[in-house]
Amino acid sequence: MTEARTRIPSLDDPEIIVDTPATIYDAIPPYPPTTEREAEFYSLKDGEMLINLGPQHPSTHGVLRVVMKIDGEKVVDLDPVLGYLHRGVEKICENGDWHHAISNCDPLEYIASMFSEAMPVMVAEKLLDLEVPRRAEYIRVLAWELNRISSHALFIGWLALDLGAVTPILYGFIERDEIVEMLAALTGQKLLFNYLRIGGVNGDLNHEFLSRLGTWMSHAAQRIEDQQTLINENEIFIRRTRGLGVIDREMALKMCLSGPPLRATGIPYDVRRAHPYSVYPELEFDIPTRTEGDSWARYWLHLEEIKQSLRIIDQVLHQMPDGPVMTKLPRLLRVPPGRAWVAFESPRGQYGAYGISDGTDQPFRLRIHDPSYFNLQTVGLMMPGHLIADTMAIMSSLDPIMGGIDK
Amino acid sequence: MTSLSNPWNRLTLAGKVIVPLVIALIGVTIALAAVWLSGFGPWLIQWLLDTLGANIGIVRFLIATTVILLITVPIAFLNIFFEMKIIAFVNLRVGPNRTGPWGTLASVVHGLKVLAKEDFTPTGADVPVFTLAPAVIFLAAVMTLLVVPFAPGLFAFDMEIGLIYFFAVGGLSVIGLMMAGWASFNKYSLLGGLRAAAGMISYELPLILSVVGIVLLTGSLNLTTIVEDQSGSFLDWNIFRQPLGAMIFFIAATAEGSRTPFDLTEADSEIVAGFATEYSGMRFGFLFFAEYVNVFILSAMTTVLFLGGWNAPLDIDPLLNFFGIATPVTVVLDPGSLGFGLLGVIAIVPPVITLILAVAIRMLIPTWGFLRSLVVAFVLLNMLVVGLLLGWLAINLDWVLGLLWFLIKAIGLSAFFVLLRATLPRVRVDELMGFAWKWLTPAALINIFVTAAALIVVKSMEGGL
Repeated sequence: MTEARTRIPSLDDPEIIVDTPATIYDAIPPYPPTTEREAEFYSLKDGEMLINLGPQHPSTHGVLRVVMKIDGEKVVDLDPVLGYLHRGVEKICENGDWHHAISNCDPLEYIASMFSEAMPVMVAEKLLDLEVPRRAEYIRVLAWELNRISSHALFIGWLALDLGAVTPILYGFIERDEIVEMLAALTGQKLLFNYLRIGGVNGDLNHEFLSRLGTWMSHAAQRIEDQQTLINENEIFIRRTRGLGVIDREMALKMCLSGPPLRATGIPYDVRRAHPYSVYPELEFDIPTRTEGDSWARYWLHLEEIKQSLRIIDQVLHQMPDGPVMTKLPRLLRVPPGRAWVAFESPRGQYGAYGISDGTDQPFRLRIHDPSYFNLQTVGLMMPGHLIADTMAIMSSLDPIMGGIDK
Repeated sequence: MTSLSNPWNRLTLAGKVIVPLVIALIGVTIALAAVWLSGFGPWLIQWLLDTLGANIGIVRFLIATTVILLITVPIAFLNIFFEMKIIAFVNLRVGPNRTGPWGTLASVVHGLKVLAKEDFTPTGADVPVFTLAPAVIFLAAVMTLLVVPFAPGLFAFDMEIGLIYFFAVGGLSVIGLMMAGWASFNKYSLLGGLRAAAGMISYELPLILSVVGIVLLTGSLNLTTIVEDQSGSFLDWNIFRQPLGAMIFFIAATAEGSRTPFDLTEADSEIVAGFATEYSGMRFGFLFFAEYVNVFILSAMTTVLFLGGWNAPLDIDPLLNFFGIATPVTVVLDPGSLGFGLLGVIAIVPPVITLILAVAIRMLIPTWGFLRSLVVAFVLLNMLVVGLLLGWLAINLDWVLGLLWFLIKAIGLSAFFVLLRATLPRVRVDELMGFAWKWLTPAALINIFVTAAALIVVKSMEGGL
């Protein structure tokens, strides 16, 4: 018996003729497949279904959307869909001058924006071949490390929240709140600081900042240790993170991983040591590594990095020199033509920027290399074969920030 | 003719409630007067009593079910309050503190909010199944309360197979969860419903097997008998006779009530809200109502089976006897002996005590105004009177003290469930299953075996068998 099928225009796109019209009971692909990979992904085998995780989902860390192909509870394949937070920062930066680029780059890494705003600053300084006052460099390191701790404290809470524990996130916010308050005393802002300047920082350390910092430093190490006792040796937490989302050294290097996910595979690559910048060569700290490459290793590394950051802050406060915090620069800053690549270690890994200047006061091009983007790429390798519940443990252990990913 | 020319339409909402009530009251009064005057009164009352007496079973059933259905409301509100306040305490937050004293009315306001929300049915949902699912879940939870013995003589049904009834009816809620998950027409709901079904069916087994030891010891499936068997000091409670069984029962009950760390059915970081994703308004309210009632029921069941039910932890009768107080203590109050003096007591004593308290408060806290201390004194007087009344009731009525002990134990356990929720992360679905089948079920079987063997040994040593 031959089936006489009617040819009907698709609901999604009238140009496309389909055999049967899509009803609400069918999984509708977001667009007709254009590549072989899409065609493979959006054709379902028996027992499989597509499920849309995000962009509005309680635990996608912003507006990440992941289309998952699942077989029961098991994730067979997945397709991250990006771009819900796209602002076109790179283009915006080209339209303002170098000073504007600082505040434009601020929200890229909105959890630790002291890092993303350093990017245009350091590119311009490299192009200008500028000597930044030593006191300014020390203040920058101080601010960076404080911000790194606040970001890591929040990471630990998020990871636990995605595993179903409601309390650690609030403990993480205690640290973050205190740090954010003291940075607000220093910079005037709580989230997007806009504190670094080309050739220094905006304003010297003040009394309120230092008194808050002193109070916090007196109990920070002990309290961070205490708060983690809730999950550090929790059997459920360990079983749900250990051996999950494993990635090996070769693959990590191929996928351009950096930060804690790379160091969790045993490669001690930290830009602060590998390609030293600022005053990091003068400071003593270790690069903690693990060899497992799983979620637990990444969690452990975040804890260790908090301790190392506290060590750095301690040294910075002891070695802080006197002097100015800004160099003298012309009011209209014309950066000499050239190209410059800077890289520095953000809480999520190697933050890079490739700037081209054509001699005007505006950047000709500012290419941003965001570590979250490269870290997030690996979910396609890590997740298939795991359960839906594990996707959260894996995804949040990579600590993606959508502001930087979508740019 | 406008709509306002109709008198009914000119009434406000309060009037629309009050006017029919007034009319009904007048009607009932006239009818009663007519009956009384016509001489049918005694006959009618006799007829009513006879009818009720002949159908005492039905009457008792109706009253019991109504009471059971009504007490779920304060129970759920109490659990919601615990949920907000205890988790806030663990999180180092303040929690609700504005609505009512210490935020106690916040849960009531939550309930009202849910009532006022839009009741939404998604396109593609299986409407009758979608509508019925919350009712099934809620009723399955409430119906299990029917066999719970709250205090001596205070139960809805004294069923001989109460334990089996509890597990059988409690298992019905899986059907409701599956209905909600399937009919919502949402993939997250479907996943949540299937998780609920898989988890609950897996945990039914250790839950039932863990109490077989108690049944062997007590020799009865009747819950009242099981409680009476545990009377004496707290060392007679089943938790000390069956520690392994108690542990298994508590863990399995946590999974059965889908509470953290086994709350996979509504894992908000994984499957949004599970089977409740598409529900809104009072249907969603019912789902959560059922969850909190379920927490209380599981605590109540743990109390009945393992914590001695209504029994006090220590029998203080020997101690009282030692001090020369005869037990059971009876307090004889005969207010009628005061005659007309009683009126004077009622009229004079409360204001005097209130005034004395107010003056005392004013002297202790000078910053308070007199009106404020008067109000506080009045509240204190009321608390005093209620406390005295409760004490009098507890001494004279057997079941009041029993109910108090039962509620203390059950509500304490509910609070412990909430504390667990604040502390632990969630287990993964395959580990949940693995834990049930690889650990709990074998442990429960070992518990049964050991209990039975011990019983045989003890009985043979006593020369029985």
